[in-house]
Amino acid sequence: MSAVPASGEDAVTARRVPRPVGGDEAARLGFRLTLPAQVLVLFIAAFPLLMQLYISLTDWAPLDGIGWWRAWELWNGFANYTDLIADDRLWSALWRTAIVMLVCVPAEFLLGLGLATLFADEFPGKRLFYSILLMPMMVVPAVAGYMFFMLFQSGGPVNDILSGLTGRPVAIAWLSDPTLALVAVMVADIWQWTPLMFLILLAGLVGVPEDQMKAATLLGANAWQRFVTIVLPKMKTIIVIALAIRLIENFKIFDTLFIMTGGGPGVATETISVYIYKVTTQDLIWGYVAAIALAILVVLSIVAVFAMKRMAAARIAA
Amino acid sequence: MAEIAFRNVTKRFGDTLAVDDASFTVADNEFFCFFGPPLSGKSTILRLILGLETPDAGEILIGGRPVNGVGPAARNIAMVFQNLALFPHMTAADNVRFPLVERRLPEAEIAGRLAAVAEKLHIGHILHKPPAQLSGGERQRVAIARALVRDPAAYLMDDPISALDARLREETRVELKRIQRELGRTLVYVTHDQEEAMSVADRMAILEGGRIRQVGAPAEVYDRPASVTVARLLGSPMMNILRSATSEAGLEAAGGAIRIAGASVPSTVAEIGVRPEDVRVDPWRDGLAGRPARVFEVEPLGGYTVVTLDAGEARLRALLRGQPDIRPEALVALSCEPARVHYFAAGGSALGHGNGR
Amino acid sequence: MSSIRLDNLVKRFGDFAALKTMDLEIADGEFMALLGPSGCGKSTTMNMVAGMEEPSEGRILFGGRDMAGVPMGRRGVGFVFQNYAIFTHMTVRQNLAYGPRMRGAPKSEVERRVAAVADLLQLGPLLERRADRLSVNILQRIAIGRSAILEPAIFLLDEPLSNVDAAFRAVMRTELKHLQRQFRQTMVYVTHDQLEAMTMADRIAVMDHGVLQQVGTPLDVYNNPANVFVARFIGAPGMNLLPGRPAEGDRGLVVDLGPLGASPPLPDRLAAAARRHGGPLLYGFRPEALELGRPGLALPVTFVERIGARAVVHFGDGATAVKGVFANDVGLAVGETVTLRPDRGSVRLFDAASGRALAGEG
Repeated sequence: MSAVPASGEDAVTARRVPRPVGGDEAARLGFRLTLPAQVLVLFIAAFPLLMQLYISLTDWAPLDGIGWWRAWELWNGFANYTDLIADDRLWSALWRTAIVMLVCVPAEFLLGLGLATLFADEFPGKRLFYSILLMPMMVVPAVAGYMFFMLFQSGGPVNDILSGLTGRPVAIAWLSDPTLALVAVMVADIWQWTPLMFLILLAGLVGVPEDQMKAATLLGANAWQRFVTIVLPKMKTIIVIALAIRLIENFKIFDTLFIMTGGGPGVATETISVYIYKVTTQDLIWGYVAAIALAILVVLSIVAVFAMKRMAAARIAA
Repeated sequence: MAEIAFRNVTKRFGDTLAVDDASFTVADNEFFCFFGPPLSGKSTILRLILGLETPDAGEILIGGRPVNGVGPAARNIAMVFQNLALFPHMTAADNVRFPLVERRLPEAEIAGRLAAVAEKLHIGHILHKPPAQLSGGERQRVAIARALVRDPAAYLMDDPISALDARLREETRVELKRIQRELGRTLVYVTHDQEEAMSVADRMAILEGGRIRQVGAPAEVYDRPASVTVARLLGSPMMNILRSATSEAGLEAAGGAIRIAGASVPSTVAEIGVRPEDVRVDPWRDGLAGRPARVFEVEPLGGYTVVTLDAGEARLRALLRGQPDIRPEALVALSCEPARVHYFAAGGSALGHGNGR
Repeated sequence: MSSIRLDNLVKRFGDFAALKTMDLEIADGEFMALLGPSGCGKSTTMNMVAGMEEPSEGRILFGGRDMAGVPMGRRGVGFVFQNYAIFTHMTVRQNLAYGPRMRGAPKSEVERRVAAVADLLQLGPLLERRADRLSVNILQRIAIGRSAILEPAIFLLDEPLSNVDAAFRAVMRTELKHLQRQFRQTMVYVTHDQLEAMTMADRIAVMDHGVLQQVGTPLDVYNNPANVFVARFIGAPGMNLLPGRPAEGDRGLVVDLGPLGASPPLPDRLAAAARRHGGPLLYGFRPEALELGRPGLALPVTFVERIGARAVVHFGDGATAVKGVFANDVGLAVGETVTLRPDRGSVRLFDAASGRALAGEG
């Protein structure tokens, strides 16, 4: 009934509250007070972007011997952008990234959801399992990469286990076969990021009102029916958020993968991040890199805006 | 002087009219109750008195002084919250001292005031305990002590005992009333429980839809409701409101089951009101004038019995003393004393109450 | 066959015994109220009947059939939660249709049954509304309708009126009782409000601290409370209890109320019991059964609560506190000393040590 702050009497009496100011006045005051911060944020966000846009319109590279601010001397208009459209290696890197995303994120989602469902109930040793489950998330990606690099060696533990299971010696060359290397990389990503998905979904799951679940049970709904009719609708918002986070993150997949395969064999595991890295450090054509980065940013922004709109709609509906 | 007065106060939240042109005066040392259904505006009035909201129109006076521009702290009004808001990590004594320590009063004065308020509220023996070790009633008294220790002009309570069990509520409200009498301080009290309001208030304001519908002593409002709305808000079971028609025999209601003869009935009466305790129920005998009513449900309360009756189109309730032997579906004769009838016009406003009662 | 039998039912949570052996029979079609203060074990009992919790010991039988191991969805009970547990992300229609839909009823039948229930509970115009932000009165009807659509033989209600505003509660009570009378389902109703239990139930099971105190019709527990707890808990206010001991008076046995200086005589049926007992007693009488101005107790008025039709008058003298309920025009003022006489028929005696009622009722 009362919307008075729950902290109680002190909130009412301890401080002398200034005379309430009118709406417009308050808004103006707020604007003035936050102006320095806004300028700073604008500078931090806008400066690198503008610089990148500037360089993307030139042929500038750091070894040319001129400062980046003089890059206009190497002006080439939109040549970088037209090159980009014809760049087959870029397109196949994008395609590969998409495949990784479409396999990893749904797998992480389903695994995370399954685990979250298990952990929503009590069982002995829950705390211990919980800690173990969260560990992959805390492993430094470089270490994880090295770990999986070792695991997938021809004489490594994965093959040993497979030998044990099949009863025949198995010596699969995981990281040197183009297809299997991609599989290995995806396994590593799923291992590392399922816990995050699990954590977010568990938070959503414990938020589903217990009474409504009981009511559904009493009305005769089985576990699957309860899941579909109560749990999923109630978790709609949080699922969208979890998927959005992982899709954006997964698009940028780099560190673990790079240590495992370096993008190889050949270009078999070259995702968009690996490709940009190689172009930057090996080919040193920074104007072109800037163009790729900007193009991706624009595309991602459009996707993000669309996703946010859907999310807002889902929240209103929920 | 801690008189609190509203003069034509209006408060809007967006399109909602939370308080609509409210005028009233709470006298010094009065136990004044705001009673109304949820969202009737009673909590908003409390917040306006505290200074947590500013009125869109009208004037608020405390002790005769306009306080529209005065902040909450300068109004010297204390508040006891519904959840009591005691700090769980402090002892009762530290909770009570808190407002004084916060104001940096000298230690000697704090000790003196604490002792005085503890004695008034009989909490000296529990001051060393943390809230978790106190009973509900004790916690209540500690919260009141904390509100009173800074010597406020008046204190406010927002539905302070609604979370308690029914039985505990009955005891606590009497205790609250006793405390207020002993302290002799203005208390403004908000509740949605009509029984509580009637039990504790010296005077009460009945709110509905943001408007003050009637102000008066509980007995006055109960006996002489200004409108059908007020009549139905006070009293449990609520007042029977029956459409009436004049016939040769006098006034008829409930399909002829109730007849009021020889009464000086206002000519514009559209509905009559009869309190359940004023409905007489007798066994039906052939040859009686009027029509019988049929018993729909019988609810024994022990000392009383509530009988729900169907008569014509109307459903009405009677509150009978004791444990009479009445069964559902039985036919009964209804009657009521003309002196106990309330008359209402078509719009719901009261025209008169029995023989001028 | 929807009688319920609780057979030596026990529920422990760790070391805490929420329910210490409960035996209760609820007949087919009966309206039983489980009444008691918070923490008395009434909700625990109800949850075990519904199958939400496993008993630590004992059995629950529905019509002679042991319910051990029968999951809650298969027990055929309707359950109305205290907060109603309405599916807020669905429309009113989807809420009502939930049970039959989950049980795979054909679409046309679901529609027919929803229409019937909506009609009965006057939810028709609201069917397409989303179920959040509806008033509690509506939510309650949805909760009842959602269970009733499955036509359960047993209906369990967990304090369903505690969120309804006071003015409407009286109406809801009558409606609920009448609905039950129409359908003749077995109904178990949990409440801490003695008024609700008294007005609606066929029988009341009064509980305290995990122990069943008394089972009986409302008037039975009101008129003949088995012990001091029931005497105090039933009634508004509860029964007055004054300490005393039996003594021989001029005209038979009396109760010497000690410092009060009064020795009211006892009716014959109680006199015999009191004489047999001999020791300290509690002399009990109902606040509603007091006659004013008759020789008996002389006490000053300390407080008058005029509550609508009634006036609850508090009398007191030092350690003694007596409450009386009179018509609201009783006209007593604080400070005035009056004489009171308990109506002889309402007097009850309890053993001062155990709190148990002395035999001799009726």
